[in-house]
Amino acid sequence: MSKIDDTVRRETVYIAAWVIILSVIMQAVFLIAGQWNIKALAGNILSSAAAVLNFLLMGITIQKAVDKDQKDAASMMKFSQSGRLFMQFAAAAVGVLFLNPVSSILPLFFPRIAVAFRPFVGKKFGNLLPETEASNDETVE
Amino acid sequence: MELAIGIILGCCALGAGMAMIAGIGPGIGEGSAVASACEAIGRQPECRSAVTTTMLMGCAVAETTGLYALVIAILLLFVAPGRFVNILTETMSNLG
Repeated sequence: MSKIDDTVRRETVYIAAWVIILSVIMQAVFLIAGQWNIKALAGNILSSAAAVLNFLLMGITIQKAVDKDQKDAASMMKFSQSGRLFMQFAAAAVGVLFLNPVSSILPLFFPRIAVAFRPFVGKKFGNLLPETEASNDETVE
Repeated sequence: MELAIGIILGCCALGAGMAMIAGIGPGIGEGSAVASACEAIGRQPECRSAVTTTMLMGCAVAETTGLYALVIAILLLFVAPGRFVNILTETMSNLG
Protein backbone atom coordinates (compact mmCIF):
# COMPACT_ATOMS: atom_id res chain seq x y z
CA MET A 1 0.00 0.00 0.00
CA SER A 2 1.41 3.38 -1.01
CA LYS A 3 2.12 6.06 1.57
CA ILE A 4 -0.23 9.04 1.84
CA ASP A 5 1.34 12.21 0.52
CA ASP A 6 2.11 14.97 3.04
CA THR A 7 -0.04 17.47 1.12
CA VAL A 8 -3.04 15.14 1.15
CA ARG A 9 -2.54 14.38 4.84
CA ARG A 10 -2.26 18.08 5.76
CA GLU A 11 -5.39 19.05 3.83
CA THR A 12 -7.36 16.11 5.24
CA VAL A 13 -6.40 17.13 8.78
CA TYR A 14 -7.50 20.69 7.97
CA ILE A 15 -10.86 19.49 6.62
CA ALA A 16 -11.35 17.09 9.56
CA ALA A 17 -10.65 19.92 12.04
CA TRP A 18 -13.27 22.12 10.39
CA VAL A 19 -15.79 19.28 10.25
CA ILE A 20 -15.34 18.67 13.99
CA ILE A 21 -15.70 22.39 14.79
CA LEU A 22 -18.83 22.76 12.65
CA SER A 23 -20.28 19.53 14.05
CA VAL A 24 -19.87 20.82 17.59
CA ILE A 25 -21.60 24.08 16.58
CA MET A 26 -24.44 22.13 14.95
CA GLN A 27 -24.91 19.95 18.02
CA ALA A 28 -24.97 23.07 20.19
CA VAL A 29 -27.70 24.53 17.96
CA PHE A 30 -29.67 21.27 18.26
CA LEU A 31 -29.26 21.42 22.05
CA ILE A 32 -30.38 25.05 22.27
CA ALA A 33 -33.37 24.36 20.00
CA GLY A 34 -34.36 21.42 22.19
CA GLN A 35 -34.05 18.96 19.30
CA TRP A 36 -30.99 17.11 20.53
CA ASN A 37 -31.13 13.35 20.93
CA ILE A 38 -28.81 10.42 20.38
CA LYS A 39 -30.06 10.01 16.79
CA ALA A 40 -28.99 13.56 15.95
CA LEU A 41 -25.52 12.83 17.34
CA ALA A 42 -25.26 9.49 15.54
CA GLY A 43 -26.37 11.01 12.24
CA ASN A 44 -23.82 13.78 12.63
CA ILE A 45 -20.99 11.34 13.38
CA LEU A 46 -21.93 9.09 10.44
CA SER A 47 -22.12 11.91 7.91
CA SER A 48 -19.01 13.66 9.22
CA ALA A 49 -17.05 10.44 8.90
CA ALA A 50 -18.36 10.00 5.35
CA ALA A 51 -17.41 13.59 4.44
CA VAL A 52 -13.85 13.31 5.78
CA LEU A 53 -13.39 9.84 4.25
CA ASN A 54 -14.65 11.20 0.93
CA PHE A 55 -12.03 13.96 1.02
CA LEU A 56 -9.26 11.53 2.02
CA LEU A 57 -10.18 9.10 -0.77
CA MET A 58 -10.29 11.98 -3.24
CA GLY A 59 -6.82 13.06 -2.13
CA ILE A 60 -5.43 9.54 -2.44
CA THR A 61 -6.96 9.21 -5.91
CA ILE A 62 -5.44 12.54 -6.99
CA GLN A 63 -2.08 11.51 -5.53
CA LYS A 64 -2.14 8.33 -7.62
CA ALA A 65 -3.66 9.96 -10.70
CA VAL A 66 -1.01 12.66 -11.11
CA ASP A 67 1.61 9.97 -11.75
CA LYS A 68 -0.36 8.54 -14.68
CA ASP A 69 -0.92 9.89 -18.18
CA GLN A 70 -3.79 12.32 -18.82
CA LYS A 71 -6.34 9.85 -20.17
CA ASP A 72 -5.83 7.32 -17.38
CA ALA A 73 -5.91 10.08 -14.75
CA ALA A 74 -9.23 11.44 -16.03
CA SER A 75 -10.89 8.02 -16.14
CA MET A 76 -9.49 7.12 -12.71
CA MET A 77 -10.92 10.31 -11.25
CA LYS A 78 -14.34 9.73 -12.83
CA PHE A 79 -14.46 6.19 -11.47
CA SER A 80 -13.40 7.37 -8.02
CA GLN A 81 -16.01 10.13 -8.03
CA SER A 82 -18.78 7.66 -8.83
CA GLY A 83 -17.70 5.38 -6.00
CA ARG A 84 -17.42 8.20 -3.50
CA LEU A 85 -20.81 9.60 -4.49
CA PHE A 86 -22.31 6.17 -3.90
CA MET A 87 -20.63 5.98 -0.49
CA GLN A 88 -22.06 9.37 0.47
CA PHE A 89 -25.48 8.35 -0.83
CA ALA A 90 -25.38 5.24 1.37
CA ALA A 91 -24.31 7.22 4.46
CA ALA A 92 -26.94 9.93 3.91
CA ALA A 93 -29.67 7.39 3.14
CA VAL A 94 -28.98 5.48 6.37
CA GLY A 95 -29.00 8.79 8.25
CA VAL A 96 -32.25 10.01 6.68
CA LEU A 97 -34.06 6.69 7.13
CA PHE A 98 -32.92 5.64 10.60
CA LEU A 99 -31.37 8.72 12.23
CA ASN A 100 -31.92 12.47 12.09
CA PRO A 101 -32.30 13.73 8.46
CA VAL A 102 -30.97 17.25 9.11
CA SER A 103 -27.93 16.18 11.11
CA SER A 104 -27.21 13.48 8.52
CA ILE A 105 -27.27 15.73 5.46
CA LEU A 106 -25.68 18.97 6.66
CA PRO A 107 -22.21 17.55 7.56
CA LEU A 108 -21.75 16.48 3.93
CA PHE A 109 -21.38 20.18 3.08
CA PHE A 110 -18.92 20.99 5.88
CA PRO A 111 -15.82 20.36 3.71
CA ARG A 112 -17.14 22.96 1.24
CA ILE A 113 -17.36 25.52 4.09
CA ALA A 114 -13.83 24.55 5.15
CA VAL A 115 -12.56 25.14 1.60
CA ALA A 116 -14.25 28.55 1.56
CA PHE A 117 -12.29 29.55 4.68
CA ARG A 118 -9.03 28.03 3.38
CA PRO A 119 -7.44 31.28 2.15
CA PHE A 120 -7.93 32.95 5.56
CA VAL A 121 -6.13 30.21 7.49
CA GLY A 122 -3.53 29.53 4.83
CA LYS A 123 -0.63 30.72 6.94
CA LYS A 124 -1.50 28.46 9.83
CA PHE A 125 -1.99 25.27 7.84
CA GLY A 126 0.56 25.88 5.12
CA ASN A 127 0.35 28.35 2.32
CA LEU A 128 -1.63 27.64 -0.82
CA LEU A 129 1.25 29.01 -2.84
CA PRO A 130 4.02 26.54 -3.49
CA GLU A 131 7.27 26.91 -1.62
CA THR A 132 9.14 26.79 -4.91
CA GLU A 133 7.02 29.61 -6.28
CA ALA A 134 7.61 31.70 -3.16
CA SER A 135 11.35 31.05 -3.33
CA ASN A 136 11.33 31.92 -7.03
CA ASP A 137 9.67 35.22 -6.22
CA GLU A 138 12.30 35.95 -3.63
CA THR A 139 15.10 35.20 -6.06
CA VAL A 140 13.49 37.46 -8.67
CA GLU A 141 13.27 40.26 -6.17
CA MET B 1 -56.35 6.02 -4.77
CA GLU B 2 -53.76 3.30 -5.46
CA LEU B 3 -53.17 4.78 -8.90
CA ALA B 4 -52.57 8.24 -7.42
CA ILE B 5 -50.12 6.82 -4.87
CA GLY B 6 -48.38 4.90 -7.64
CA ILE B 7 -48.07 8.04 -9.75
CA ILE B 8 -46.62 9.95 -6.77
CA LEU B 9 -44.06 7.23 -6.05
CA GLY B 10 -43.16 6.94 -9.73
CA CYS B 11 -42.74 10.69 -10.15
CA CYS B 12 -40.57 10.87 -7.02
CA ALA B 13 -38.32 8.09 -8.31
CA LEU B 14 -38.16 9.72 -11.75
CA GLY B 15 -37.32 13.09 -10.18
CA ALA B 16 -34.57 11.51 -8.08
CA GLY B 17 -33.09 9.90 -11.16
CA MET B 18 -33.24 13.16 -13.09
CA ALA B 19 -31.62 15.02 -10.19
CA MET B 20 -28.70 12.64 -10.28
CA ILE B 21 -27.93 13.69 -13.85
CA ALA B 22 -26.18 16.59 -12.13
CA GLY B 23 -23.83 14.03 -10.57
CA ILE B 24 -22.24 13.40 -13.97
CA GLY B 25 -20.86 16.95 -14.24
CA PRO B 26 -18.46 16.88 -11.27
CA GLY B 27 -17.00 13.57 -12.45
CA ILE B 28 -16.20 14.98 -15.87
CA GLY B 29 -14.93 18.24 -14.36
CA GLU B 30 -12.67 16.52 -11.84
CA GLY B 31 -11.38 14.23 -14.55
CA SER B 32 -10.39 17.10 -16.82
CA ALA B 33 -8.89 19.02 -13.86
CA VAL B 34 -6.69 16.08 -12.91
CA ALA B 35 -5.72 15.54 -16.55
CA SER B 36 -4.60 19.17 -16.79
CA ALA B 37 -2.76 18.83 -13.48
CA CYS B 38 -0.87 15.83 -14.85
CA GLU B 39 0.25 17.98 -17.75
CA ALA B 40 1.25 20.82 -15.39
CA ILE B 41 3.24 18.50 -13.14
CA GLY B 42 4.87 16.97 -16.19
CA ARG B 43 6.08 20.41 -17.22
CA GLN B 44 7.10 21.56 -13.74
CA PRO B 45 7.64 18.61 -11.38
CA GLU B 46 8.80 20.95 -8.59
CA CYS B 47 5.26 22.40 -8.35
CA ARG B 48 3.70 19.03 -7.56
CA SER B 49 2.75 19.89 -3.96
CA ALA B 50 1.16 23.23 -4.89
CA VAL B 51 -0.73 21.76 -7.84
CA THR B 52 -2.03 18.91 -5.68
CA THR B 53 -3.21 21.30 -2.94
CA THR B 54 -4.98 23.61 -5.37
CA MET B 55 -6.51 20.67 -7.20
CA LEU B 56 -7.74 19.09 -3.95
CA MET B 57 -9.54 22.30 -3.04
CA GLY B 58 -10.90 22.70 -6.56
CA CYS B 59 -12.17 19.13 -6.65
CA ALA B 60 -13.83 19.59 -3.24
CA VAL B 61 -15.65 22.65 -4.57
CA ALA B 62 -16.63 20.88 -7.80
CA GLU B 63 -17.98 17.94 -5.88
CA THR B 64 -20.44 20.10 -3.95
CA THR B 65 -22.59 20.38 -7.08
CA GLY B 66 -22.97 16.63 -7.11
CA LEU B 67 -23.81 16.70 -3.42
CA TYR B 68 -26.67 19.13 -3.97
CA ALA B 69 -28.13 16.70 -6.52
CA LEU B 70 -27.53 13.82 -4.12
CA VAL B 71 -29.42 15.54 -1.32
CA ILE B 72 -32.35 16.34 -3.62
CA ALA B 73 -32.43 12.73 -4.79
CA ILE B 74 -32.35 11.40 -1.21
CA LEU B 75 -35.16 13.72 -0.15
CA LEU B 76 -37.23 12.74 -3.19
CA LEU B 77 -36.66 9.05 -2.56
CA PHE B 78 -37.05 8.80 1.19
CA VAL B 79 -38.85 11.89 2.52
CA ALA B 80 -41.11 13.30 -0.21
CA PRO B 81 -43.22 10.19 -1.02
CA GLY B 82 -44.45 9.85 2.58
CA ARG B 83 -45.32 13.54 2.78
CA PHE B 84 -47.12 13.57 -0.57
CA VAL B 85 -49.09 10.42 0.24
CA ASN B 86 -50.12 11.93 3.59
CA ILE B 87 -51.29 15.09 1.85
CA LEU B 88 -53.23 13.01 -0.68
CA THR B 89 -54.83 10.87 2.03
CA GLU B 90 -55.86 13.93 4.06
CA THR B 91 -57.29 15.62 0.98
CA MET B 92 -59.26 12.54 0.01
CA SER B 93 -60.64 12.11 3.55
CA ASN B 94 -61.66 15.80 3.67
CA LEU B 95 -63.45 15.46 0.36
CA GLY B 96 -65.51 12.65 1.70
